[in-house]
Amino acid sequence: MSKLKVTLVSGRTAQQGIGLEEGKTSDNYVKSVNHVQLCPEDAAKMKLKEGDAVSVETRHGSVVVNWRPSKELEGGMVFFPYGPWANQVYGYETEGTGTPIFKGIEATVAPTKGKVKSIEELVKSLGGDRK
Amino acid sequence: MTVFTDVVCPFCGCLCDDLEVTVEDGHVKGVKNACGISRSKFLNHEKNRLEAPTVDGVEVPLEKAVDAAADILSTSMRPLVYGLSSTECVAIAKAVELAELAGGVVDNTSSVCHGPTILALQQVGESKTTLGEVKNRADLVIFWGSNPSQAHLRHIIRYSGMAKGRFIPNGRKDRYIVAVDIRKTGTTRLADEYVKVEPNRDFELLQALRAAVRGHELLAESVAGVPREKVTELAERMKTAKFGIVFFGLGLTQSEGRHMNIDAAVGLVAELNNHTKFLLTPMRGHYNVGGANTVTTWQTGYPYAVDFSRGYPRYNPGEYTSIDMLARGEADSALVIASDPVSTFPAGVVRNLAKIPVVTLDHKVTPTTMLSKVVIPVATAGVEAEGTAYRMDGVPLRLSKLVEPREGVHSDAEVLEMMIKRMGGRAY
Repeated sequence: MSKLKVTLVSGRTAQQGIGLEEGKTSDNYVKSVNHVQLCPEDAAKMKLKEGDAVSVETRHGSVVVNWRPSKELEGGMVFFPYGPWANQVYGYETEGTGTPIFKGIEATVAPTKGKVKSIEELVKSLGGDRK
Repeated sequence: MTVFTDVVCPFCGCLCDDLEVTVEDGHVKGVKNACGISRSKFLNHEKNRLEAPTVDGVEVPLEKAVDAAADILSTSMRPLVYGLSSTECVAIAKAVELAELAGGVVDNTSSVCHGPTILALQQVGESKTTLGEVKNRADLVIFWGSNPSQAHLRHIIRYSGMAKGRFIPNGRKDRYIVAVDIRKTGTTRLADEYVKVEPNRDFELLQALRAAVRGHELLAESVAGVPREKVTELAERMKTAKFGIVFFGLGLTQSEGRHMNIDAAVGLVAELNNHTKFLLTPMRGHYNVGGANTVTTWQTGYPYAVDFSRGYPRYNPGEYTSIDMLARGEADSALVIASDPVSTFPAGVVRNLAKIPVVTLDHKVTPTTMLSKVVIPVATAGVEAEGTAYRMDGVPLRLSKLVEPREGVHSDAEVLEMMIKRMGGRAY
């Protein structure tokens, strides 16, 4: 199986909190948010090896990130820590509430030969090149 | 060497107020009683700092940066003032004043987290309590769509789980903890009961519980993936608790249903108060997002999404909320204070933010400072600047100034005051 249909859920992690207090450009922060967590069985279905990148896609966009196994997740559920990488695949519709949906989104995950962007590349790709 | 005691942590909505911080030669050298994130905040506050004020990436004196910021805001048609949840209350008050002066919109980060909570509570009310009451009395604690084991690291230890209280003499043993979530987490692991709800189906489960508490027989064999027996058992457990509380998180506000999920949770809690004492508290994320709502409310009458374009405050989440303002391409400039929307907003609106002049006040380099036209470094509130912050339960606590900021670096409030003066506002 190359592409897996999943439910995407985002959220905070302690590592993300620790990393962001070091700085958003620090290695610790970047590593804490530029990955998704998959259950080992789903990773096996996609024949993912440690160090492989995956492409996460929703109807709003796609992004290339690293992956990590998580025994807490059940098959078909993917956890994406809050951050600039996760935000590539979320939509901005708020349906009059002001708040987009960040949890429980239909997505696909697939192995990719693509490269995980650095934080600078990501900001640049969003139009931010005023550094 | 100076040891500061009872220091309030400026990270999450728990505002733990029992920290001991050691300062030596003007630098933080040690922190006791802190969680991992808090420790990181105090010990790393000097890392990755913004070096100097910049305009278009070029270093300038502070006055020039303030001038440039004031020019941008005063010449915009629809400036958006955003952030505010990770600074102290005086800065928030000044940001509101600045938004009024600029005839703009002021919004805070609750518009992407607990905004739906506010919408619901404005509709149906709220039965509030303090974390102290929870510590002393709560024998049934329900975490719904919240994961304090990752986001509010000492919540369970200090207030809601292990803590021993006046009527909870044995701490954890005297409390029954339920975790309702769509996935297993550290919190579901330490709970006595994990209720696995299907994604985007919390509303149904809340309403089924409400019906069960009211004594209605449930006809469906399962609701939102939870067997009927489990629903009725939980309803009974809730009714027979002495003091119950629901701590709910973004699992309810950022999934389908949003404010209606909170409406249902409030309805359930209201129903339970026919039987026992039951309350609910949102797990607020940023340490002073409660203050951002409170200060904005006492100044304008509204907690977020406030528009001053007509000279008086108007409130309309969905219209004056930052995501919507940017999605429509309506904001033509932005002032970001103590926040990083480039890391927290969906990419589609960040692209629009990148098209307009952005002024950012922050202490560290962030993706938002990277795409800002004007960047002004500020002191870290709660470490280098004192002030007040509101805990997730609405209790205000005083933040400490432990060390001096670098020379020439001012607090958010001071920089905003400079901008206000430069734009012809009243000086205090």
